[in-house]
Amino acid sequence: MATQIKTTPDGLVYRPSIEDQPPRSIAPSKLAQTVTLVVLGFVLLYFLLPIVWLVIASSKNNTDLVSSFGFWFADNNWAFNWNSLMSWTKGLFPRWVLNSVFYSTVAATLGTLISVACGYAMAKFVFPGRRALLVTIMAGLLMPIAILTVPLYLLFSQMQLTNTIWSIIIPSMVSPFGVFLANVYADSSVPTELLEAARIDGAGEARIFFTMVLRLLAPAMVTIFLFIFVATWNNFLLPLMMISSDTLKPVTLGLYGMMSYFAPDKGAVMLGALLGVVPLILLFLILQRFWQSGLAAGAVKG
Amino acid sequence: MSTQAEAAPVRRRWSRQARHQMIYGWAFALPFFLLFLLVFAAPIISSIRSSLFKMQSTGGGLFGGGERVEVFAGLENFIVAATNTSFWGGIGRVMLFGVFQIPVMIGIALGLALLLDSFLVRRPGTWRLLYFLPYAIPGLIAAIVWGYLYVPQISPFADAFGTSGGQPFFLAPGIILASMANMTTWTFTGYNMLIFLAALQAIPGDLYEAARIDGASGLQITAKIKIPLVRGAALLAVLLSIIGTIQLFNEPTVMQTLASWMGNDYTPMMMAYNTMMGQMTPSGAGPASAVSILMAMVAGVLAVIYALAQRKAD
Amino acid sequence: MSVFPKRLMTVAGLLSAAALGLTACGGDATPADPTPAASSAEATSAETPSEPIDIEYMHRLPDGEGMTTVAEIVGRWNAENPNIQVKATKFDGKAQEMITKLETDINANNGVCLAQLGYAEVPEMFVKGLTMDVTAEAEKYKDNFGGAYGQMSVGGAVVGLPQDSGPLIYMYNETEFKALGIEVPTNAEEFVAAAKTAAAKGKYIADFEADEAQNWLSGQSAGAGAVWYSAVDDAWKVDAASDQSMVVANFWQELLDSKAALTHDRWSDAYTAALVDGTLIGNIAAAWEVGFALDPLDTTAYAGQWRVAQLPQFGDAPMTGPDGGSGVAVMKGCEYPAQAMKFNNWFNTQVEDLASQGLVPAAAEAAATPEKWSTQFGGQDVMAELVTANKNLNADFAYIPGFSAVGPKMTEAAAAAAAGSGKVADVFTAAQDASIAALKDAGLPVSEG
Repeated sequence: MATQIKTTPDGLVYRPSIEDQPPRSIAPSKLAQTVTLVVLGFVLLYFLLPIVWLVIASSKNNTDLVSSFGFWFADNNWAFNWNSLMSWTKGLFPRWVLNSVFYSTVAATLGTLISVACGYAMAKFVFPGRRALLVTIMAGLLMPIAILTVPLYLLFSQMQLTNTIWSIIIPSMVSPFGVFLANVYADSSVPTELLEAARIDGAGEARIFFTMVLRLLAPAMVTIFLFIFVATWNNFLLPLMMISSDTLKPVTLGLYGMMSYFAPDKGAVMLGALLGVVPLILLFLILQRFWQSGLAAGAVKG
Repeated sequence: MSTQAEAAPVRRRWSRQARHQMIYGWAFALPFFLLFLLVFAAPIISSIRSSLFKMQSTGGGLFGGGERVEVFAGLENFIVAATNTSFWGGIGRVMLFGVFQIPVMIGIALGLALLLDSFLVRRPGTWRLLYFLPYAIPGLIAAIVWGYLYVPQISPFADAFGTSGGQPFFLAPGIILASMANMTTWTFTGYNMLIFLAALQAIPGDLYEAARIDGASGLQITAKIKIPLVRGAALLAVLLSIIGTIQLFNEPTVMQTLASWMGNDYTPMMMAYNTMMGQMTPSGAGPASAVSILMAMVAGVLAVIYALAQRKAD
Repeated sequence: MSVFPKRLMTVAGLLSAAALGLTACGGDATPADPTPAASSAEATSAETPSEPIDIEYMHRLPDGEGMTTVAEIVGRWNAENPNIQVKATKFDGKAQEMITKLETDINANNGVCLAQLGYAEVPEMFVKGLTMDVTAEAEKYKDNFGGAYGQMSVGGAVVGLPQDSGPLIYMYNETEFKALGIEVPTNAEEFVAAAKTAAAKGKYIADFEADEAQNWLSGQSAGAGAVWYSAVDDAWKVDAASDQSMVVANFWQELLDSKAALTHDRWSDAYTAALVDGTLIGNIAAAWEVGFALDPLDTTAYAGQWRVAQLPQFGDAPMTGPDGGSGVAVMKGCEYPAQAMKFNNWFNTQVEDLASQGLVPAAAEAAATPEKWSTQFGGQDVMAELVTANKNLNADFAYIPGFSAVGPKMTEAAAAAAAGSGKVADVFTAAQDASIAALKDAGLPVSEG
């Protein structure tokens, strides 16, 4: 922690705050940092142990899964499990992963955009029907999705959209939760004065939204994007109904298919699931940047 | 005279502004709203409609002639569902589940978010990713994992807990709700943490600066600024959890494959799904919709009660 | 706020407009369909159409490693029959989910022509009006199939052809049996005695499978000679808790009470663990389990030690009962039922290919024992043993519409019996009550007396 000391024009000495580091006045003690680290470490153990188990299990065959110690490796069967995975999916496994990446990316991108627009509208515009809209969307959350899948399938089948990419993307885009989060977030981090100022400067609403609001809402958008992405990735009931072509299937449906037979090669299924998580982790790392931007704070200060 | 002259243009300006607000408000809300109508509202209305009907065989004989028609049933499906003790038994179970699980999960999520948002932690990004990871594991895979960890013959630790009432410890009637709560907490804590982190990011930086100038400590900033300002997010997270709990389905379905004694109606959502899939009597879309709508009503009432209680506390 | 009701009306108006669009198209639950008899008669004359036609076939066969895939089999047909092109689609979910999809599709006039249905689901699909009566076509192919042909008929109407069958059999580890000095039990008394002998040495020759109660216990009851469902004066007579069922109940009760049987669910990992560590050395199983049950033993010392035998005799004669198995039915709305049945017959007589999928084909021509089975069962002619079991099937045992709703109640009762908090007999009384409730729910006549 290099401490630079600067002097203000009127002669006062101060330590400027460095990005990502607290001002010295509130810098935590070493003890507090260590205690925090230990606490976080223990919590992490809880979250990670099952995943460690999963990684180890993906290297085992069905026999070793039930007869060897869960948290250590038995004979390494990764190659065998990979072959079995490829054979069960008729070589389509990589394709299914790519399908999933495509569905999730498109649904999350479009879904984030429409959620943020709607949440922003409800937070920052006064228009008739606003409350009714909020209540309606909230009410939409109350009905269980699994029960709605069949009528939705019927509807899409009448629109002749079943077994197309849209039958996955369109339903996955609509995230009432995204609207609420955007609403809560816009409420507290898009200052009305800023909007007024931009309007007075003659900026159009579309321009204000795309250049200013979206930037202010970046952390919320990352969160919404991630939630829609993961939800689309993990949903298998919707594609189970909607998709019948092998080439259009997403990876989770493929894994579900393997699991719904009597004697699935569980190691292979788990390997498939783990390989499916890799793109998610990559995505998370890419999104990291937008998260920390903290644009909101800067903009408001200015 | 002068006041009148001033008031008129003000009113005109206001109405122009109101129109502007209305047009752009709806314009921004419309894309979502239209898709919402398609993906949520239409299926819900179709569900409500089918809850008022039932299928009846037209022909006689052992197989009803192999033809069925839909006949109007009024509120019969609702009456059958509402007078079914196992429906209310299921509601009781999920409420018991929620009373314990939601505070624990929300508490841990908020705690983690506050820690990661503080200066106590370096590289919060890595922690954030690792805590979120369980949510990224598909539910059907998490099911396999917990299956192995809960079943005594193969689990590395379940043997140590012995049995309870003739059932393995984690799968015993008195324990199983806690076993499911553990699965839910494992999956969703990171998810809720992200909701809180997003809300913490939204707090304007000048608030902190003002507090610091006033000499507030990190703890004080947390208690006096951060926690009050994430209330909106907390309300959202809890409401979602309440709804999710009433619709509890994945965890009990997983547990049912390990503990057959649970039956097909352990939670209301299991009851609705199995009714739809013909695995219960009565069966079919009508009775299943009725169960779902009743369940949605219970969830709605609970959500409203919670929101009102929150508002009162403000 | 004063205009709130107006706003609400706008939203409601929009929503109901959307709903109207939905119900206008999908509300009509019974679309007019061509009368089955007429369409089959018409189609017969056009068995080899001059114009190529397409037939869709939905299945849920495993298509696993080392199997002849459905796509390969269908590919052969398509090459030989350019005018009857078949498109096979694999459904990636559970049987009950596939039925929901089929039902939705057919009611939207958008269904497939041929679909795989479990025998226990056939009556239910018929009652829902989702299958087609193809009796005239089926009669032509009847001789190609064994006793399972009857499983595809509902109240005199045949809706398709059988694919595989699942008679209950007994599987055991011969080497362990010899070491314990016990013989393969041929009846209930011998079974209980052998089980007690083995249990004393920490080995188990039986497992009580609560999760499979529906077909597994009803099948054993059928093996004891029970007929659960029959017609009396054009009404259903339900007899699930008969004396024959009680023979089975008492048999298992004694095994459970004397702790001579394990109580692992069939699809639990505890079952696999017991198999792999050698505590489980015998099991009453469905014939189709032969295809994969021993896979976990391949890398253990127990490889090649197991054999297949007939189900112990519970009743007056050597008899067994059905546990699963399925056929391929012609679904309502199929445009070319005659051609569909032609393919159906061809497909389900490709016995070697079907056997490679782990099935015990229902066709009259017996398949050879697949290589994998004879390795796992120490060279035994497993298929011959299964064919015998097929012949011993209780021919009078049929299912009711709504049998899917009966199983979960049986499972619940069986789990209680396994835990000691209930009795095995309760499983059958639960089946009795649930069957009557299911029939009444479907609006079908029940004779209670």
